[in-house]
Amino acid sequence: MRNTRVLVVDDEEIIRVGCQRILSDMDLQVDGAENGRIGLEKIRENPYDLVLLDLIMPELDGMKLLEKIQAHDPDIVAIIVTGFATIESAVEAMTKGAYDYLPKPFTPEEFRVKVNRGLEKRRLILEARELRRERDRNLLELSNEKTRTHTIVNSMSDGLIVTNCSGQVVLINPVALKMMRLNQKAVIGKTVDDLIHNDGLKNQISETLEKVQKSTNSTTMQIQTRDERFLHSNITPLLDENHNCLGTVTVLRDITEEKKVEKLKSEFVRLVAHELKAPLGAIDGYLNLILEGYISDTLQVDDMIRKSRNKAKALLNLINDLLDLSRTEKTEISKTKTTIDICTILHETVNFFENEAKEKKLDLQFGCDKNLPAIQGIDEEISRLFSNLISNAIKYTPEGGVVSVSAKMNDGYLAVAVQDTGIGISQEDQKNIFEEFYRSNNAVTRKISGTGLGLSIAKKIADNHNGYLELLSEEGKGSTFRVFLPVKKD
Amino acid sequence: MSERKKILLADDDAAFREINRIILESNGYLVDEADSADAALRKLKSEHFDLLVLDLMMEDRDSGFRVAYALKEDQNLKELPILMLTSAPQKTGFNFRFSEDKDWMKVDSYATKPLDPRELLDRVHKLLK
Repeated sequence: MRNTRVLVVDDEEIIRVGCQRILSDMDLQVDGAENGRIGLEKIRENPYDLVLLDLIMPELDGMKLLEKIQAHDPDIVAIIVTGFATIESAVEAMTKGAYDYLPKPFTPEEFRVKVNRGLEKRRLILEARELRRERDRNLLELSNEKTRTHTIVNSMSDGLIVTNCSGQVVLINPVALKMMRLNQKAVIGKTVDDLIHNDGLKNQISETLEKVQKSTNSTTMQIQTRDERFLHSNITPLLDENHNCLGTVTVLRDITEEKKVEKLKSEFVRLVAHELKAPLGAIDGYLNLILEGYISDTLQVDDMIRKSRNKAKALLNLINDLLDLSRTEKTEISKTKTTIDICTILHETVNFFENEAKEKKLDLQFGCDKNLPAIQGIDEEISRLFSNLISNAIKYTPEGGVVSVSAKMNDGYLAVAVQDTGIGISQEDQKNIFEEFYRSNNAVTRKISGTGLGLSIAKKIADNHNGYLELLSEEGKGSTFRVFLPVKKD
Repeated sequence: MSERKKILLADDDAAFREINRIILESNGYLVDEADSADAALRKLKSEHFDLLVLDLMMEDRDSGFRVAYALKEDQNLKELPILMLTSAPQKTGFNFRFSEDKDWMKVDSYATKPLDPRELLDRVHKLLK
């Protein structure tokens, strides 16, 4: 603890010095001031516990100084020391906040008693001040804690409903209000039965309350709201330490998006299953015909075996495409992009298809602008993207046609066009052409085998590279697929 | 068999049409083919058939149902028995619950592809009785 500091303000040097000596002997830190003005200056500069002051002084008298001390810090204890002590001046000083007075002349013993009482007073004042501060701090913390909990509950992304033991709602956060389509004002104090329309959730909360003494397990369930959203609910009984029922806590989580993904996934699985089953079913059918003697002609048997083999090949292609599709979806995690020169990749890819084009008597052209900037990408994906487009162009272009591949800059993007003079794609089919397993169905396309995944894979790869795919096509005249890829920025 | 029964196979998969045609023809049936829902309806309206073997998923996932509904609303064709084939098993979440749809009875038999030759013949015999 710091030293107790005392100031003696008196214009009579003998008294001032005498007092200072007594105070020093009492182990107090003492200062002196020979008039009111200097006294006030010292008080403003130092933290005094006790001030002894004379009433009659030049420049600033004791009464005025007392007022200034009070204004500066009312907790400083002031004791009046005066040779002209009258009842009147003493009373006046007391009403202005002096704690005590000591008439001159006084003995050192009288002085010490007054000073000790004054210091005791000061100690009590400081103690009280500390207690008050502590109380204020506690109150602040308490209200902070309340605000904090409130803020946490209100900013949760999950819905929260707390009921008491009779099923009345005692706390509900805005998310839960929204999920349950409730209005804040009309909620608190009402029972779950009145408020919640969803029977499943209502019953679950009631049941939890009924068996709250027996089971402390929380229960989970899925509910569907009136506005077609799916919620996952977790209801926990609340008990105090003596196992008395306090109520229930219900946490609601919106799982509508997860449900949608789930649905898309099972839709996709169903499609895949259908696509996988068809060729296998055909193979099974052909083998049945052969084994059960429906056909005996060797040529016919050969034909069926060949058809079975083609189906098996188609199945293998499909499985490869499916693997590619799932690979393109995992790009972010498993693969790092490198700097790619597009012309090199295009050249290699076009070369790969040269024989196939020649067999179909197609003119396969290739052109790449000079000094094209590099792109950031996954080598094998980019080459897969263009193989898919070129292979399609060759497949859907009749003999004697032209397939051309060209690359140039376009508006900050690298633009690669794969153009053909093939059968084209109808307006109707253009809408769905990038969907998985979508295939144009007409007299020509039916004879061409395909997995229906090539273009969706191409589109996914373009997406993975922050690019996009564009289609221009007219039935009977041909199609142009244009791939736009962002160039690497240095 | 005094008169040969005539069956229409509606399926967009040429392999299934070929396989089923061979099975049915070698058992004395007359067989014709259609590769889409529209082609099937056209043939059924212009010629007489005793039975329709109908693939559920042709150009659309429910084109088979579309054909079945159209037939049952046609005064001349509503009695035509239909054997519905599909390779979409219920397990994969196919969105159709037979027991809940009263219209379901409009199709007379239902089987999952691929159908064993004996099973196919068995069902065809029953429907033509």
